[in-house]
Amino acid sequence: MTATPLFNRAGMLWQQRISGMHEYEFVREGNVFSAGFSQSFVFSSEYEAARQLLATLLSQYQGRNFDSVFCGRDEVNSGGVCFAHTSRHDLSFHPFDTGRFRDEVEKDLSLVHGIGPATGKKLNARGYLTLNDLCRHPHYCHNAKDVLTRISGGNTLEIMNLIGGRHSRSHRSVLGTAAMHEPEDFVFFDIETLGLFGRPIILFGIGSVENEKLCVTQYLLRDIDEEEAALLATVSHLSGDHPALVTFNGKSFDLPYLTDRLAYYGLGSPVAIPHFDMLHFSRRRWKGELSSLRLTALEKAVLEIKRKDDIPGQMVPEFYEAYQRSGNCGPLVPILDHNRQDVVSLARLFFHLMGESYGCT
Amino acid sequence: MAVPDLLRLLDSVPSYRERVTHIETTEPVTARYGRLDCSLSPALEGYLTQSGIRLYSHQCEAINASRAGRNVILTTPTASGKTLAFNLPVFTALECDSDARALYLYPTKALANDQLLPLDELSRFTGISARSAIYDGDTPQSKRAAIREKSRIILSNPHELHQVLSWHAKWRYFLSGLEFIVIDEAHRYRGVFGSNIAFVIRRLLRLCRHYGSEPRFILSTATLANPQEFARCLTGQVFVSVEEDGSPHGRKHFVLYNPFFNGICEKSAHHETKDLLVSCVKEDLQTLCFTGSRKMAELLTLWAREDARLSSARAADSISVYRAGFLPEERRTIEQQLKDGSLKGVVSTNALELGIDVGSLDAVILSGYPGTMMSTRQQAGRAGRKGDEAIAILVAQANPLDQYFMHHPDRFFSRSHEHAIIDLKNPYILAGHILCAAAELPVDEGADRQYFGDTLDEYLHDFQSHDLLRKTSRGWVYSGRGRTAEAVRLDGMPQETFRVLCQGKLLETMDRGQAYREAHEGAIMLHQGETYIVNEMDPATHNIRVTGTSVDYSTQPLKEVELAILETLETKEVNGMRCSFGDVEVTEHFTGYKIKRGDTIIGIEPLSLPPLTFRTRAFWFIPPADIKKSLDTAGLDLAGGLHGAEHAIIALMPLHVLCDRWDIGGMSSPAFGADGEPVVFVYDGHEGGIGLAEKAYAILSPLLISAYEMVRDCPCDDGCPSCIHSPKCGNDNQPLDKGATTRILGRISGEIPACSHEQVPAGTGVVPS
Repeated sequence: MTATPLFNRAGMLWQQRISGMHEYEFVREGNVFSAGFSQSFVFSSEYEAARQLLATLLSQYQGRNFDSVFCGRDEVNSGGVCFAHTSRHDLSFHPFDTGRFRDEVEKDLSLVHGIGPATGKKLNARGYLTLNDLCRHPHYCHNAKDVLTRISGGNTLEIMNLIGGRHSRSHRSVLGTAAMHEPEDFVFFDIETLGLFGRPIILFGIGSVENEKLCVTQYLLRDIDEEEAALLATVSHLSGDHPALVTFNGKSFDLPYLTDRLAYYGLGSPVAIPHFDMLHFSRRRWKGELSSLRLTALEKAVLEIKRKDDIPGQMVPEFYEAYQRSGNCGPLVPILDHNRQDVVSLARLFFHLMGESYGCT
Repeated sequence: MAVPDLLRLLDSVPSYRERVTHIETTEPVTARYGRLDCSLSPALEGYLTQSGIRLYSHQCEAINASRAGRNVILTTPTASGKTLAFNLPVFTALECDSDARALYLYPTKALANDQLLPLDELSRFTGISARSAIYDGDTPQSKRAAIREKSRIILSNPHELHQVLSWHAKWRYFLSGLEFIVIDEAHRYRGVFGSNIAFVIRRLLRLCRHYGSEPRFILSTATLANPQEFARCLTGQVFVSVEEDGSPHGRKHFVLYNPFFNGICEKSAHHETKDLLVSCVKEDLQTLCFTGSRKMAELLTLWAREDARLSSARAADSISVYRAGFLPEERRTIEQQLKDGSLKGVVSTNALELGIDVGSLDAVILSGYPGTMMSTRQQAGRAGRKGDEAIAILVAQANPLDQYFMHHPDRFFSRSHEHAIIDLKNPYILAGHILCAAAELPVDEGADRQYFGDTLDEYLHDFQSHDLLRKTSRGWVYSGRGRTAEAVRLDGMPQETFRVLCQGKLLETMDRGQAYREAHEGAIMLHQGETYIVNEMDPATHNIRVTGTSVDYSTQPLKEVELAILETLETKEVNGMRCSFGDVEVTEHFTGYKIKRGDTIIGIEPLSLPPLTFRTRAFWFIPPADIKKSLDTAGLDLAGGLHGAEHAIIALMPLHVLCDRWDIGGMSSPAFGADGEPVVFVYDGHEGGIGLAEKAYAILSPLLISAYEMVRDCPCDDGCPSCIHSPKCGNDNQPLDKGATTRILGRISGEIPACSHEQVPAGTGVVPS
């Protein structure tokens, strides 16, 4: 078959159909509960403001080339090349008090198989206050020794699984395992994509602590062609000495998305490392106290951060498409800002929660 | 033995005798067993011995071919042991290779559920671990990961497969070990749906290649005219076809019964069906009766019970309806009552031909031709228990296909003429799946051509210009807005969706074409057996508001069709007539609608809808110039003759090409285009075409002959619903001229030679006006 008149309309028809699809819903102001805890809604006022911002940016950055707007470097690796931008941010945190975490865990008899809260209380009453005490117990000694061995082994992943398996995955002691790491071990990770799965990741934000500052590296795709290089650059951050991942909703979004895109290019998944998803710990900490548990709401309420000219994450695809279509890099400005702020807030939120429970006093 | 009694009754009662147009008797056949080229493993051999199973010839043929590495399509009848024919090669593979996996695809969730138990049994008995599991929309999230990683046989459906392919990374264990793809009831994957499935399968194979596996196929289908071609289109692979059934069956009688034997029908055809059902029940035959609609199933049951009550209350109570919407317990009760013999007659809708689990019965009555020979065979195949004598009766309705079979029993009982069509060239379907593929793995314009055809390159560039794909050094990457697997619907085209709302509740969705035809303002529409009236249809917002109603009339839209030839792709001569195939643009103007009570028109209302334009594929032919002259001489109307020929050809298309007459459209004109030539067009009713007109063009001669025979043999004088009247005609069946139709069809089918067309052939019933 050659290009017949039938064929000519296929691309247009699919474009119409696909551009008519929306992956987020509009929610009228003050009606946040109607949307449930879904990531996929945008307040109509936010939407209007973002559309206006887009128009402003397009005229403001008209005719300016990429390099005059963004100051960064080319990241080159076996996947090709992408753009990398680095920034430094203040970060205040107390060193972790590992002892507090160890005490908490050692007093938690229910980590031993077969011991629930009721049995735990009975054992306490009979003088078994710690796991060490329990090593003398005729029945539980075996399991207790096993638990202690696993804890003193110092493998965060294993301890997280141990605690998470006996309690819930968002139990405070699960977060507490982070105290076994140095601040420099953490990789704060957030991505911006062209949609909910099955499309490119256009921006990878990675934060790490260097000299008591938060250093944020962002890998941006100037064209979709640069995705593979950005993926490989990102993965290299996850394979450090003793790394641990910190995300906000990364267990259901950022990490599976990353794995999915790696598989898309026929690349293997990154090695499993400890992963602290702050969405779950925040939920446990502030549920009922705060009306919204989105990152932007938390940073406002808990960290007193106010964003200016921010765009809702769900509208990133629209902004990136505007850049792709026009070549005008104005729409990229708020995407980079948004992602950078997400990483910064994520890091601060993490240290805030850690400080509350395991900070040195 | 009660079947001979019933046959005697059909022969002795005059009203039955004159309506029976044909009885085809098939003599009993004993089992033919086969031999395997290399023996099965001791575990599988032990299973067969223990279960007392000796393999039939067709099972052995299929197993041998499959074990030799070939792809196999099995077209033997239902209940011939097809399941075992694919389970044995699959289990052989599972036993030999601990990494081997198999995927079983079923068209419905219910069919997949039925297969789980036999697979578990086979696994338990042989000790070959299969961990068979169903993976579909009902599978709990918590079980999915374990199934993907541990199950060695996964049963699913194409819709689920379409959705999960984009998550292939999670399926890499399964995909890298995939050795078998089993597709049961594959004939269901035809037309628009089948063409979509064909690309879902290609996408699956593309991922298998990525993960290093090369699965073999085993397909089972109902009888088709083109099993190998069909299997190749569906999967892109070459197949061995196994058609010779080795399973035994008893004596079978197939009765063709025509209430319209004399052109009129004294009672309604449904009442005749009821009479036959009651006679069967009185003869103590367990009988299954298939009807076209749920409402008719209910009515027939009611009438039959009233009638039977006249002779015995027990007989009346032994008749029941079996329809969709029954609770599982209600169904099981009926199935149980059939097994213990307390139930004698069950009336069911065609839709249940597969879902019904009642085993085999003594008699089957088909109230009207179910639309395809495939369905006919599947329904009639319900008659006949192990080796016992059985009977099937087709009660003809007043429509062209039913009547054609009544006049041509040889066609009914001959080899299948039905071609199952899959169109790999529909640009919309193909394009949609290229996008899906690009969201799964980067598309390589060279290596992926084997899945998406030689024009892949053009599509990729076209998509780039529409911002849907980006060319990268790794291939073409999807970068559009929506999720592709969500945008691509397997049962439709990428069209706008209209929502039918009743008091704010969504009843159903339809595309624009269907909305204009069935849900225009004032239309009476049916939804799951309930009647609704359309209060408002908004072509801009795509909302259709309806309310429930119980009016006694129906509506039918009136439309005018404009057609323009975009490009002629092929031209040939058939019986001295120029025929062409190509791309056309069809514009339908819906001008109004008729309000009908029964067949009486009680009013016509105007409609103002924007015209509906779509591009599709058509064949057309220009009857030789001398026809017009001869019709003029005979005082016959050319326009009415062409229009009648168009209707007759469309009516007989389903005999040759598996489709519904509603999938096809037509247009005829005594003076078309710049040259003012007479012409008849037949086009696919789907945007982009779906291969129906293309296939019909390829087999035009037999199609024209059957259309001619159908019109010639109809005893009516001026055309009737059994020949050239069309229930979907947008011009209210005007103009029609049966005499002219017969001459045109006779001439172009080559049945009446050019020189003798002055003579009216005998038996046409034509009265020259």
